[in-house]
Amino acid sequence: MRSMQPTIAPERTRDIAEDENIEPDRPWLVIVWDDPINLMSYVTYVFQKLFGYSREKATQLMLRVHNEGKCVVSSGSREKAELDCYRLHQHGLWATIGKSD
Amino acid sequence: MPQIGALGNGAISLTLEEFEAEILRRLAVEMRLLLEADVPDSDPVVQRLFPRAYDAADDEAAFRQMIGDDLREIKSRTLDEVAAALGTEGGCEVILARDEVDGWLTLLTDLRLSIGARLDVDEQRMAAEVDPGDPDAVALSILHWLGYLQGILVEHALEDR
Repeated sequence: MRSMQPTIAPERTRDIAEDENIEPDRPWLVIVWDDPINLMSYVTYVFQKLFGYSREKATQLMLRVHNEGKCVVSSGSREKAELDCYRLHQHGLWATIGKSD
Repeated sequence: MPQIGALGNGAISLTLEEFEAEILRRLAVEMRLLLEADVPDSDPVVQRLFPRAYDAADDEAAFRQMIGDDLREIKSRTLDEVAAALGTEGGCEVILARDEVDGWLTLLTDLRLSIGARLDVDEQRMAAEVDPGDPDAVALSILHWLGYLQGILVEHALEDR
């Protein structure tokens, strides 16, 4: 019994859950982090320009970055996340890519 | 102080006094050196201008390979445009179309991020009055002046959207 691999044990379930290929719908997230330099108005401008968000939505996201230290600003396929992250880097925002929980 | 005037269609005129244009010219030279020299990735300014996208080393390596030198080249091109508009001496009045305003905004951001990363400033230091006795007083004052200039340009760009 000792050498038997887990089949329905929780360990096994976790292994599967960690495999991204089995969960293609779990989106990639682009996260913007607060930094002490960038102007709040500039961050709002970048969100509007890159994502086409309204002033109101862009301001809300900017405030969440500022108040909570970070905020998810876009999500989707890996390709989309990488493009968005690259464009944010191009505009000097501190952005990273992660996966949703 | 820098003056801007709206010209319609998102275009603006930006008027800089001689000492203001001179600050930007000097910073442009420094930025050029930074972009062209082989500065190690561990440098805090390089880390801030070319941040990591991923925690995982293999994901990050693939991301870097995909973007190649694109980011560096775009920064370099924007720098060329701004440097050309500034000219070589005296004050200047620059006419910027809407798209060119964006280039100025991103360059001003890079300049501010570079100074901020070099000085390792935090939120508290950014909010405080500059102490004339601080050895970084000049750099901090330039950082704030760049923020003022960027602020009025952003204000215009937001109104224009």
